[in-house]
Amino acid sequence: MSREVTGIGLGLRYDLATELLTRRPATVSWLEVHPENYVNRGGRYQEMLELGRRDWPVVTHGLTTCLGSVEPFDVGYLANLRAFLSDLEVPWHSEHLCLGGVDDRFFHDLLPLPFTEEAARIASQRLTEVRDAIDMPLAVENASYYAAQCDDGLAEADFVVEVLERADAKLLLDVNNIYVNSRNFDFDPKAYIDKIPPERVVQIHVAGHFVRDDGLRIDTHGEPVPDHVYQLLDYTLGKIGPVPVLLERDNNVPPLDELLAEIDELWTIYRNATEVDRAG
Amino acid sequence: MLADHAKAMHRVCFGAEPSEADLELLGSRERWLVYRDLVRYRLVHVIGVALARTKEAIGKESFGRAVDEWLSTGGPRSRYIRHVPSELADFAIPIWQSSEAPWVADLVRHEITAWNVRHAPPAPTPETEFSFDGKPVLSTAVEVLRLAYPVHQTPTPGAGYEPDPTLLCVYRDKSHKASTRKLNPLAADLLEAWKRADETVAESVQRVAKAHDTEIGPAFVEKLSAIIADFLGHSPPP
Repeated sequence: MSREVTGIGLGLRYDLATELLTRRPATVSWLEVHPENYVNRGGRYQEMLELGRRDWPVVTHGLTTCLGSVEPFDVGYLANLRAFLSDLEVPWHSEHLCLGGVDDRFFHDLLPLPFTEEAARIASQRLTEVRDAIDMPLAVENASYYAAQCDDGLAEADFVVEVLERADAKLLLDVNNIYVNSRNFDFDPKAYIDKIPPERVVQIHVAGHFVRDDGLRIDTHGEPVPDHVYQLLDYTLGKIGPVPVLLERDNNVPPLDELLAEIDELWTIYRNATEVDRAG
Repeated sequence: MLADHAKAMHRVCFGAEPSEADLELLGSRERWLVYRDLVRYRLVHVIGVALARTKEAIGKESFGRAVDEWLSTGGPRSRYIRHVPSELADFAIPIWQSSEAPWVADLVRHEITAWNVRHAPPAPTPETEFSFDGKPVLSTAVEVLRLAYPVHQTPTPGAGYEPDPTLLCVYRDKSHKASTRKLNPLAADLLEAWKRADETVAESVQRVAKAHDTEIGPAFVEKLSAIIADFLGHSPPP
């Protein structure tokens, strides 16, 4: 049976695993892992996952089953994924609303979908296919993007909602991605949040990002969470209530204490939302 | 059409030179060139980590040319980024065999084998206790390399390696790192037989000893016990 996933989680990453798994800080309530890093892999990754599972519930977040794929997914991989998720007893799994490859080649990056009716139809079909294949709840994550897909930046929110409604799906709401997109394409990130149906959100991601000299913001997960993202998280949790929040840090990983300070900040925001939710 | 869009993204990211037609189709020319850089950077980085000694030996330029050439064939076929260095190595070894020092191909083989062993699937759990009458079950990821140059050693500065037929065992050790041991021909044949696991341990020992005209006496048994403890025991060797 799945252990409950609430509060603030942290991504289990190779670079921070030794310190995290040794100290086992109580302020980390759950872990997130990328299945592609663990499926059919032994050694240190297998050990990390086994040690992590002892004390924490685990949620999974895929990197390569991107839901905008124009080609059918590899059924062999989906079968492996289903077995992996079932063994981990995750409460839900998530994938990205983007393109991850074409013609059986992988970008190993998350490329944007055009915000078109065709892309929404294909993504919702793929989402349903994956959900059926893994036989568990599947959430879709809104992606960051750097090339304009529409004149109106808020069109992305409409696109995301259309995919969710077509597939009757859940959302992993990435607050940093919304903030990055809002700065790169000049829209109000709170207006984006206002368009999201709160009942569909099962999880939130926060992270830091890199600002290039030309001002373009890149979703690196390699910087501390900036104040604007904390503020947007506060606004988001105020709107949708206290859903689990994950701190993503994949690159330029600092000592654990620096991440724990960010987690403390996230707890303050989360508890505030919890109190508001109870009062409301 | 989304399919046309996706194919244009693919060509922009992996093509030798992105075409203006594709960039125009996608729009935001400069931003798509940012994507090209981001996609390529991640792949180049993991390849550089896996093949660090090779990159240093042949130089960044030659290494980068091979990676660019490989990417222009379409990019990674595997969803697992840990497999990307192997894809590059398969492509680049024939190129480097003709363009670089003769030992470079062996260096690549050794580095990529160490990378793959480190990230290999979990060792299978034996269904029964070890027995000479049972099929061998290796306790960790193991590969045997038959090389023409001793590339596991430190190279001679400025000269690299002299030819010296070398048998190596590359395995995932207890600390999950890739370790390398030099093997004699009999041990190499035995480990390869145990990897195939198509005969019992006793059958493989008798066949290989006979092939090497080696008597199964006390000295042989002592060495055999050590290699069995290391690779067919309960846990990986140190």
